[in-house]
Amino acid sequence: MRIDVEVENGVVKDAWSSGTMFRGYEMLIQGKHPWDAQQVMERICGVCPLVHGTAASYNLDSAMGVTLPNNARLIRNLCLGANFIQSHILHFYHLQALDYIDVTAVTKYNGTDPALKMLRDKIIGLAVAKDLYPFLPRYESPDYIGEPGGPGDPNLATELVGHYVQAFEMRKKAQEMLTIFYGRMPSFVGTIPGGVTTPPTLTNIAAFRARLHDLQTWINDVYVADVKLVATTPAYAPFIKAGDSGGNFLAYGGMDLNQKGTDKYFPSGVITNYGVLSPSKFDSNVIAESVKYSWYNDSTEDLKPAVGKTVPEVGKSGAYSFVKAPRYGGKPMEVGPLARQLVKKDPIFMALATQLGVLTPPVKFGIIPRTGARAVEALLVSLEMDKWLDELTLGIGQPIWDPKGRDIPNSANGMGLVEGPRGSLGHWITISGGKTGNYQAVVPTTWNASPRDKTGVRGPIETALIGIPVPDVNNPINVARCVRSFDPCLACAIHIIHPENNSVKEFRVV
Amino acid sequence: MVTRRQFLKHAGATAALLGLSETMIPQLAKALQAASSGKPPIIWIQGQNCTGCSISFLNSNYPGVAEVVLDKLSVRYQPNVMAGTGQTAIAAINDTVAAAKAGKGIYVLVVEGPVPTAQNGEFCTFGLTTQTKTLANTNVKVPGDKTVHEWMKELVPGAAAVIANGNCASFGGIPAANAGTTGATPVSEIVAQIDPKKPMVNVGGCPSHPDWFLGTALQALIALKVLPGGTPLNLNENKMSKTFFGKMIHENCERRGAFDAGLFLDDWNDQSPDYQLCMFKQGCKGPVTFADCPTRRWNSGVNWCVGANAPCHGCASPSFYQKLSPLYQPLPNVNFAGISPATDVLGWVAAGATAVGIGAHYLYKQLGSKPEEAEGGEK
Repeated sequence: MRIDVEVENGVVKDAWSSGTMFRGYEMLIQGKHPWDAQQVMERICGVCPLVHGTAASYNLDSAMGVTLPNNARLIRNLCLGANFIQSHILHFYHLQALDYIDVTAVTKYNGTDPALKMLRDKIIGLAVAKDLYPFLPRYESPDYIGEPGGPGDPNLATELVGHYVQAFEMRKKAQEMLTIFYGRMPSFVGTIPGGVTTPPTLTNIAAFRARLHDLQTWINDVYVADVKLVATTPAYAPFIKAGDSGGNFLAYGGMDLNQKGTDKYFPSGVITNYGVLSPSKFDSNVIAESVKYSWYNDSTEDLKPAVGKTVPEVGKSGAYSFVKAPRYGGKPMEVGPLARQLVKKDPIFMALATQLGVLTPPVKFGIIPRTGARAVEALLVSLEMDKWLDELTLGIGQPIWDPKGRDIPNSANGMGLVEGPRGSLGHWITISGGKTGNYQAVVPTTWNASPRDKTGVRGPIETALIGIPVPDVNNPINVARCVRSFDPCLACAIHIIHPENNSVKEFRVV
Repeated sequence: MVTRRQFLKHAGATAALLGLSETMIPQLAKALQAASSGKPPIIWIQGQNCTGCSISFLNSNYPGVAEVVLDKLSVRYQPNVMAGTGQTAIAAINDTVAAAKAGKGIYVLVVEGPVPTAQNGEFCTFGLTTQTKTLANTNVKVPGDKTVHEWMKELVPGAAAVIANGNCASFGGIPAANAGTTGATPVSEIVAQIDPKKPMVNVGGCPSHPDWFLGTALQALIALKVLPGGTPLNLNENKMSKTFFGKMIHENCERRGAFDAGLFLDDWNDQSPDYQLCMFKQGCKGPVTFADCPTRRWNSGVNWCVGANAPCHGCASPSFYQKLSPLYQPLPNVNFAGISPATDVLGWVAAGATAVGIGAHYLYKQLGSKPEEAEGGEK
């Protein structure tokens, strides 16, 4: 991923978000046996295989007209939930937190915690050896927690770095939960068209629940507490409003609460122009993708995903991204935890938003509410999962699979919509001659990191970047903070940021 | 200060990871001691990958990833782990290359994902070139994108070794199924074009198991004497470490007994507490895949694909994905008795061409009829 920003008078004036890699999964799956789709399409993304594989399974379910057995529905929910946990922990601690913490402050730790003292000595050793990779080098900022003159103190920074280390173990534990039902992570094998492959047993429910309870406690006591700490640090107050994507939010909805899927844990809904109090009904038929600024042939402009086409055209004049520009009723949409929590209007999140002053005019949803929504969501989903475990029916003869999943129709259409950690994900399939005909995926980062559309309207990340303060063009840490708050997941996602001081027309070349 | 006792314990865990005998410990101890005084630098770049092998690396257990990053390897550039972005991240690569040139620590290049060569390599880029392009809707000139192919030309010559991490870096994997469009090319071919003598190893798996990657990397560092030792790498014909990719999955499968007894899974609702059914009829590629999944297992040993009532899809095989598709259809007529270590490169096509050994056995047990009669009826 590549971001270009134009800086004027210390703030971002314009922004361009580019996807810099293309493989063509939608092309290579054509002509294959439809069952291959789950295994192949989950490998679109190694960070989110769980969500892609699950969307592919729902997509195939719908093409084959299966009825998901109750246990299969619950196991899919549980695994989606475990994936929320591992992904949100990974994102905050390993991809985002070091944008707010001074790692070198650890060397000044003077507390008594033995684990933190050991960490301090280790970091001092690395600093002496002049080998602080991969923590350094990075953009510096005077407002890091633990920085002299910045918020907090070295002991607080050390505690946070200690949590960064703990988080490796915690997210691994969440991956293990998935593995219990789904075989392994990443690239799991536990869903098939019509259901799941592993039945619930006393043993695997116990193994799952033991890990879940550890995680619930850690998320509440550590993750949510750390996010609150960052959110309420006065130095970061501007980020409550800065980084707003334009007031349009979309959630497809996900995690079925009944067998027909009419009730979902995450409701679907659409918010336009900051109308957070009145989400409208979601209609998958008004999604279409613009390719005017994307490296795809113009003949594929404005197609609905069900009939979408992927025809790459490298070097197309004016284009700057391998990401298409999906639009809902012509509008760009932010998807992800913030969109979901606003559509759901979860009272816990709304209380946090009120406390932070997000909802006081001018209403803006910046970096901090986006990050906060993610943490609150990890906690709430983890608590909900206990109920799903309770609902599982034990015993031989309890189905986990509808054999109709094996009956490949000669021709059929399917659609699989889910909510994943990064937002709404849809897969669409056309089966013809018993093989996969057309296959299209519109992924969360396609929504968030989209380039401009045919009318020139920017994508959500591009819009969010405008107005971000960059007091020093040599040090665009705030640009990184804004982009990372969306948790963009483009494989090959290097975070190249290169600002330009427009007044002197001079570029920093990396 | 680490005591000798702690150190040997540590070395023991690593020896277990590598699948080595206890007699290897003194050599490893030396290697690790050297590592803690000056950790070998790693530059880990990504081609047409999915980041799955990076995420799998984070699942490392004994040593945990924090330990790897803090104690074992100096991870100079790794898009998903490092704190730096943009120019600071690229600076880490440039500094490491410059240091290697100056004789101050040679780096190992890890590549995740194949390298696209069609359209001048523009299907995958990171970092910037000195050539410029114009931003959309403006007259503003900005630096162009640097292709992964360019990066390879820059980074391979100075590397001690190149490690292709994961099936698609090693053999093309899934992206190779669209090579007609993007020119997705295995890393070994690109390396051979740049320097045919460059030491190069492949780590299979989609994704690679963290032990496979770390173990192979350590073995390579020891073999190249970047770490003390010198034990030569023991590679198979696909440049994969025999420690991890030497044994056929089917031969070591915990459900081999079910296969031999003709107990095959037909219906996922068929759950018995008394036996676990063989996944062969659901397309298991264990008979043509060489990897230690059945014994090593995944995610801290919690499970593996067959353990979840699913077939092995052969993701550690060089034939994955194209030649092993359709993934959920049984391998045709695999000759079990005559299976040879070369089978793993042949996959579906060759499996179909071999004799009827397994087919007869399997069809006879399942259908109660002679193979030649049943053949037409089996999908």
